[in-house]
Amino acid sequence: MIDVDNVTKTYRRGPAEVRALRGLSCQIPPGVLTFIVGPSGSGKSSLLYLLGALDQPTSGEVTILGQRLTQLTGRQRDVFRRDQVGFVFQNFNLLANLTAVENVLVPYFPQGVPPARRTEAIELLKRVGLADRLDHRPSQLSGGEQQRVAIARALLKRPVLVLADEPTGELDSESGAQIYGYLRQLRDEQGSTVVIVTHDRTHIQPADNVLSLRDGKLAT
Amino acid sequence: MREIRLRRPFVSGFLLVVILLKYLRMFRFALKNLCSRLVRTLLALCGLTVAIAGMVGLFSVAEGIEASVSATFAKVPGLAVMQPGAPIPLFSRLPSDWGDEIGRLTGVHVVHREIWARANIIEGKPCFNPPRFLFGSDLKEAENLRYSVYREGLKEGRILTAADRGTLHTVVSRAIADQFKKKVGDVLHVDGLELEIIGIYQCNSLFLDVAIILDIELVRRVGRIGPESVCNFYVEPDLNVDRARLAERIREKFIGRSREIRQANADQQAANPVQALLSAMGASAPVNGTPAKGSQADDDSASRESAVEVRDSDDWAREFKHFSEDLDIFLFLMTGIGVSIAFVGIVNTMLMSVTERFIEFGVLKANGWSNGDVLRLISFESGFLGLGGGVVGCALGWLATHAINAHWPTRIHLYAGPRLLAWSVCFSIVLGVLGGLYPAIRASRMMPMDAIRRG
Repeated sequence: MIDVDNVTKTYRRGPAEVRALRGLSCQIPPGVLTFIVGPSGSGKSSLLYLLGALDQPTSGEVTILGQRLTQLTGRQRDVFRRDQVGFVFQNFNLLANLTAVENVLVPYFPQGVPPARRTEAIELLKRVGLADRLDHRPSQLSGGEQQRVAIARALLKRPVLVLADEPTGELDSESGAQIYGYLRQLRDEQGSTVVIVTHDRTHIQPADNVLSLRDGKLAT
Repeated sequence: MREIRLRRPFVSGFLLVVILLKYLRMFRFALKNLCSRLVRTLLALCGLTVAIAGMVGLFSVAEGIEASVSATFAKVPGLAVMQPGAPIPLFSRLPSDWGDEIGRLTGVHVVHREIWARANIIEGKPCFNPPRFLFGSDLKEAENLRYSVYREGLKEGRILTAADRGTLHTVVSRAIADQFKKKVGDVLHVDGLELEIIGIYQCNSLFLDVAIILDIELVRRVGRIGPESVCNFYVEPDLNVDRARLAERIREKFIGRSREIRQANADQQAANPVQALLSAMGASAPVNGTPAKGSQADDDSASRESAVEVRDSDDWAREFKHFSEDLDIFLFLMTGIGVSIAFVGIVNTMLMSVTERFIEFGVLKANGWSNGDVLRLISFESGFLGLGGGVVGCALGWLATHAINAHWPTRIHLYAGPRLLAWSVCFSIVLGVLGGLYPAIRASRMMPMDAIRRG
């Protein structure tokens, strides 16, 4: 269970102060595909990054699997992100100098990559249809292929929580549908909680959990 | 215990391999990042390479002097008895009859009287650099030496013997013979003398291969040094005699006899205006700091101190090392300029690289990289820059020293030894890592989202 309790997030953009979240409270059940929807500036991405311990709330508390994220040390947050959270960004955010396999393995570079993990990474890339693209760099891959590499990177961790920020925003509809298919497969096979920020409601199914945001709060 | 000692290097090696394997991916990642910005990397590398090559070149001068001094004094096993404070025998004067007193001391095998003078004009040309010296040897005493560095280094002809006394026969170094295109049997014109070359020696030392060896009386005449004075005594100890103890016995023998040197020098200066001028300029050594005209206090002080200084090869080596340390300070200052420029270049390169890659660091941190991991990656990159600049700079510096030595074989020999090269590479790596530290800290301290937003 993910519990978001009265969270505010304020940051500065130049001289202006932006209040992205204004006392937001919600709960996200485990093992469910949750969509965060809302207009631009409603605080969707800010909420997503707080859930992934990428950012700190100005006030309030986010609790995931009993862990209060604001009380974690920097190192604990790093470990939390490395072991429990998989990220999929809108613009893929692959590392340009690394091949597809290396991009999947990059979270483990500092600890060293045992051969078994490399084998696992190759298997995952094969599963997402990139068997013949293992040693290609991001510049040699299409947008859909890059996003599939990003999903493989998230899958390799067997994460408790997968956070996707507009994962199909840069893709055509066919590739987009494929990506949603992989995310649902991830939820089904690994029991992960998947939270997706999107503008596009076409891929939402009746069983999915939907959080609609407006002006930094849940829309009533 | 022995087993533990044997295991230790093995364990260290094993740990090193484990660490290298652990960071293998990080190393490759760092190298790829550097290669992806090839031009900028090469420019930073060039800056560092030039600085390190310059450093190797400059310090090879000091290393060359040190190596040459060590090699030279390893060849001179005896003791040099000189006037206290004289930097080299050229500026020393001692009463000649003190040689007899030294010769009567227990443990002395031979006392060899020596006189040194500058050769000013050779073959009609002024001779400043490299300097050449007339070395007056008491040829009878020299015959009794068990070991003579010049005799051992003889390459052609023969060495001077007692039979050559009163002649214009000379033995010169290969360097001098080559410089003036002379061979055995030729005449060498030095300071108005027509010397006949009867032998050529080669000691392969910048400090030894400078002498034109002559009969002592001839040099005495040229240098206007009276019969009562010599520059120094070379004392060859008996076999198995402790050199340090013999040196102490010689010193003790001449305690309180500085007045005799002053008298000898006063006579000398009256006969030789050049010597008087040198003395006035302070080139000729004062006796233990005592002025030429002694007062009662001076005499009291002199009475407690030895009138001679006895130096063995270790003393010479120490003296030159002291000089070399001063030279090192100067070289550090010179090198510092180049190194500072290279350092700024690395900081600039890494700062630009880091600024461009804020998104990348955000993504890495989003994927669980810690601040330390990001810091390590950037440090590896700057460390690789340092390693590359160090290795290439050392190679260039080493090649340059060899080229210089080959082109000017008779000048000071530059020496870039393994110690200097290893030190330079390590210094370069440290420089690289330090240069990358500030950009690395900046990058590592950013929150992942800040990094992505700023990018």
